[in-house]
Amino acid sequence: MTLLSIQEMTKRFGGLVALNALNINVKEKSIHSIIGPNGAGKTTFFNCLTGFYRPEEGEVLFNGNSIVGLSPDRIVHKGIARTYQNIRLFPNLTALENVMVGYHVHLKSSFLGPILGLKSTKMEEERARQIAMDLLKYVKMEGKEDTLAKNFPYGEQRRLEMARALASQPKLLLLDEPTAGMNPRETQDMMDFIQHMRGEIGITIVLIEHQMRVVMNISDIVTVFDYGKMIAEGLPEEIKNNKTVIEAYLGSGDAADSH
Amino acid sequence: MTKTQSLWNHGVKTGAIGGVSVLVISLIGMVQSFGKRFIIADVLPMGVTIALIISILAAYLAAKKTLISEKSIQFTNAVISGFVTSGFLAVFVIIGRSVNLRAVFVEASPMLYNILTGGFEGPGGIFFLLAIGLFCGVFSGILILMNDLPRKLTVYSVATIFMMGLLQELILPILNSWDLSVTNYLAGLFYTLNGLTPIGAVLSVVTFCILYLLWYANQAAVKTKYTNLPKATQKKTKYLGLAVLAIILIFLPQFLGLFLSEVLTIVGLYVLLGLGLNIVVGYAGLLDLGYVAFFAIGSYVVALLTSPQIFSFGFNFWQALPIAVICGILAGVILGIPVLKMRGDYLAIATLGFGEIIRILVLSDFLKPWLGGAQGIGSIPNPNFMGFQMVRPQHIYYLILAGCILVVFISLRLKNSRLGRAWMAMREDEDVAQAMGINLVATKLLAFATGAGFSALSGAIFASKIGSVYPHSFNVFISINVVCIVIIGGIGSLPGIVIGSAVLMGLPELLREFADYRMFVYGVALVIMMLLRPEGLLPEVRHKRELHDETETGTETAA
Repeated sequence: MTLLSIQEMTKRFGGLVALNALNINVKEKSIHSIIGPNGAGKTTFFNCLTGFYRPEEGEVLFNGNSIVGLSPDRIVHKGIARTYQNIRLFPNLTALENVMVGYHVHLKSSFLGPILGLKSTKMEEERARQIAMDLLKYVKMEGKEDTLAKNFPYGEQRRLEMARALASQPKLLLLDEPTAGMNPRETQDMMDFIQHMRGEIGITIVLIEHQMRVVMNISDIVTVFDYGKMIAEGLPEEIKNNKTVIEAYLGSGDAADSH
Repeated sequence: MTKTQSLWNHGVKTGAIGGVSVLVISLIGMVQSFGKRFIIADVLPMGVTIALIISILAAYLAAKKTLISEKSIQFTNAVISGFVTSGFLAVFVIIGRSVNLRAVFVEASPMLYNILTGGFEGPGGIFFLLAIGLFCGVFSGILILMNDLPRKLTVYSVATIFMMGLLQELILPILNSWDLSVTNYLAGLFYTLNGLTPIGAVLSVVTFCILYLLWYANQAAVKTKYTNLPKATQKKTKYLGLAVLAIILIFLPQFLGLFLSEVLTIVGLYVLLGLGLNIVVGYAGLLDLGYVAFFAIGSYVVALLTSPQIFSFGFNFWQALPIAVICGILAGVILGIPVLKMRGDYLAIATLGFGEIIRILVLSDFLKPWLGGAQGIGSIPNPNFMGFQMVRPQHIYYLILAGCILVVFISLRLKNSRLGRAWMAMREDEDVAQAMGINLVATKLLAFATGAGFSALSGAIFASKIGSVYPHSFNVFISINVVCIVIIGGIGSLPGIVIGSAVLMGLPELLREFADYRMFVYGVALVIMMLLRPEGLLPEVRHKRELHDETETGTETAA
């Protein structure tokens, strides 16, 4: 079943066509990788999906409903969460607070609830706290809930960001280069983690990735971008041997093997 | 050779900075106008004390910053610095005595030279000045040579004398108000009409040292004992502390005279303003420089509704108060809407403009029939509490205290809530906050509205306290004062704001000579704070960690 359907999506910045009539379908509970050279429009694609950019043309259907033109906070309510290429945590909030902010969409209290100390508000807070603690445990960061986010080493910041994204309980998770800057061991852990997430939580994942080893190992389907256009789509094996992709992205065939 | 030269570099450089600083405070007249107030009667005027403290501090920093931590070199650097500082002044005095500098520097008078040279004429005065500089250097040098405990004792003793002298007008009336033979005796023993008695100075130092040594010896024991107590008892101790604090706050005005209670109400009003701005700046990270606008709106609403002068609506204070707060909240939302898309500096400038617009509107002839123009609105009745007229500042104090407690309560409750987290997330990264599902429009407007409501509350009390409102009471300096309170007290920290208000608003009221130099001192204080203690005087625990967490990061990474 298709969870996300993108039809003829085009995004221009002045004369530059950043995304050119994209047609992509993401199946439910799949791991869908987006690859492409630098500047191919991958992150722009994410920004269009999450509402930070508004595509000039085309339609995006999520769960059958159009989400084009919705503000980023509305789109989170629909069930799409993301992480960033260069980690963007709330650096001066604690790990727990970061994750609790992620759970924001499921909380209702506003101004008077906390001031009057209503019972419903208290229960809600307790629930949020519990869920956040569970998620921290899930990303193997239990016992570190009171540390400021900026004080974590790189790998843990990545995991914390993922916990924060999961806290909104999304149906679709967009990961922007989740293994960027990681050593082989950390990369392997991250791959296991992503597969685990899909298996256990049953979440659909779209990820942008540069490391071919990761892409080929965990993807169900791979889409290749170049200059804002989709130049190929298929199973990892097919993409590996696709002539256009090798020419546009990987260079010569020898180089492709060495990746 | 160059290496040895660079060793003394710090002494000369820091000494020069010290010299220039003392020169500046001399030329703008601070040394002279503070010369009439004595720290120790007839011995040590305050102006000279400040100059001495600057020289000593410069020498100390010179020694501290010396690249090689060899005691003798540090000591020499301190002495060099002290000498250079006084050298600057000596050159200034020599030039000033032969050329008339008054055409340019009004304050460069023979009287200033007399103060700087200790009253000695001719070369004797210069030698005296240099000797004093040398003394400052040697004093700092000795401080460097000392161990931790004696150094702390010396520094704190000097600070004690300075504070005891500085706060004379706070301590003396309290002692006098008891009017017991003991307190009268103490007052006479410690204080003259202007400054501490020498015996008083010695006694305060001795008392302080004994207390400090007792604390120092038992510090560790007390702390472990406290942490070993069961959680429930710890909580009880905390509540007991709060109860004591409450009792002190309730009976405070009874010990303070009329004047000090008046000072206290001013401090209290600024605490209210500071707590409100803390929500906007500290929690939500929106720099609002037009904060006075809501203060003005609160004041004018109460004035219009209660004063018979323009409309004679005939409201009493308690009926007008909620309306004033609601008007403030509305104004906060109305200001918030156009500046929603603005960030950082642009927001600061836009809000600054809003503050001025309100003042100019109130001042305008166009609105004069409704708002009173430059003449303002007078004869605002005092609040009446169950038939009791709140006339004296001591009575208004309770009103303000109640307001502060309410606002502190609301601030604390909101901070650890969904809304508080949304504010802080927005402060950290607006885009990501939105990507977490936070509605930026609503969250920002709530921050502006809450802050504005607190400000209007403060304004409403202000109007009924003063009894009349004028446009010029609501100039931009109020906004600046509040921003300074929040920053110097510690952004996001509620106790910090109370301390910030007391220091920045209370002290100037106690030291009237200070008024001319208020903005200068604020500027210097802000710069010094940003360099030495960017987290503020009494920082929020979290914020303190943000700025001083090298060690913590180390252990985290290691683990």
